[in-house]
Amino acid sequence: MVCKSLASFLLKTYHGGHIVIRLAMAGHKQSNRPFYRIVAAYNKRARDSKYIEQLGSYDPLPNIYNEKLVSFNSDRIKYWMGCGAHPTKPVAKLLGFAGFFPLHPMTVTEAERRRALTEQAEGAAPEEVVKQQEL
Amino acid sequence: MAAFSAARCLFRSYSLVKNVDQNTGILIRCSRRMLCSAPSDSSSPDAHVKPQFLDSEVQDILTRITGLNLEKVFRPIKQELKPPKYKLMTDAQLEEATQSAREQAQRLLKMPPVLPERKPINDVLSEDKILEGMDTAKYVFTDITFNIPHRERFIVIREPTGTLRKASWEERDRILQVYFPKEGRRLTAPPVFKEENLKMVFGQDRHEDMLDLCQVQFEPDSSEYIRVHAATYEDLEKMGKYDLLRSTRHFGGLVWYLVNARRVDGLMIDMLQKDLLQDAVSLVGLFNKVHPHSETAQEASSQQAYGLDLLKIYAKWESQRAGYVELALQAYEQTSAESTV
Repeated sequence: MVCKSLASFLLKTYHGGHIVIRLAMAGHKQSNRPFYRIVAAYNKRARDSKYIEQLGSYDPLPNIYNEKLVSFNSDRIKYWMGCGAHPTKPVAKLLGFAGFFPLHPMTVTEAERRRALTEQAEGAAPEEVVKQQEL
Repeated sequence: MAAFSAARCLFRSYSLVKNVDQNTGILIRCSRRMLCSAPSDSSSPDAHVKPQFLDSEVQDILTRITGLNLEKVFRPIKQELKPPKYKLMTDAQLEEATQSAREQAQRLLKMPPVLPERKPINDVLSEDKILEGMDTAKYVFTDITFNIPHRERFIVIREPTGTLRKASWEERDRILQVYFPKEGRRLTAPPVFKEENLKMVFGQDRHEDMLDLCQVQFEPDSSEYIRVHAATYEDLEKMGKYDLLRSTRHFGGLVWYLVNARRVDGLMIDMLQKDLLQDAVSLVGLFNKVHPHSETAQEASSQQAYGLDLLKIYAKWESQRAGYVELALQAYEQTSAESTV
């Protein structure tokens, strides 16, 4: 690969597989509070262990303004994608929401499924209310 | 032969036409620029450009009026307590030290910019109705590439309805503070900046601290910054406490605000009472530059007045409290006559 420097080639560090851009959990599993880093790492490495470069962060819990904060370093993501890194599904979905990638097809399906669920729940709730009133 | 002369005529007319095109192009660009910068002057026949806060002449006048009171600039600020350092110096070294202190003071007195209020951002990048109901919370995406200026950074928000829009200015400020924190700035504005609390702070004569805090917290073109600064300047003008800001970096902003609102009387009287004739004269000069169509400016330019005459013209034509200004002028003339005698 052109992007790997001569130094790393000479070091001959063993790695299996390719480079991926994925979410790694930060916070060391101690707190009941997930927080992800968007990270470029080798495929075979453990999820939270040593990565090549951190490219951003994702906070899945909404803050007081009901926002989920996502940051990504577009310059470096473009570089790693150019080097042949594969993004995983959640990363592809997030970047599709951002407009950086085209929309992931599963997001549309998920949205439809969720809408169907909410409609079912709404359809069930008025029925229960009516039943209680009758009783 | 005829063809040659015809060609020469054609070439000459072509060059004339070429110049005309260039001239009209330049004229169009100039007029467009001037129309953009001075909408109020577009009706007047002479194309005069209104002086802005950051023009070198305006900045010169304002720095001169601000004054350079070294005692006040370097008065003890709240910082870590360090034992004082004593140095043994010759006279020449002492002069050098005072000179460098003066330059340092001038750098500390650099005026913060006065900018027009920023226009709200209402850009919608895409409307995706198919994504409606995907989540109950908004997603805020920030681009954390290192070398972009903060004004050009992409901060977009995906709403639960599926619209992808650019973040508004307040959201931008908050999120830039999360990822690129500035020292002293807080995520939510401290409650000091509400109206009632501002009044209490002004009662304690802490206008300068207020303005410093505002400087740290808000961007120069945000509505909050402009509102707080306007409230501070109004209060100072009402109470007449111009001395609080003299020799600080906020004095230029105060003078600019008063000159644009045409309420320079209080400041003028204050200057005359403190025997700062040069400052008063430069103040009237600045006023004439900013409002060139007022009667004061026209009288001054027609009579080529300098010094005290400028002040007299201003007192006669423009000031609302003419009596006070003339009294102060007379008092100043008397004291100067007595001191010379």
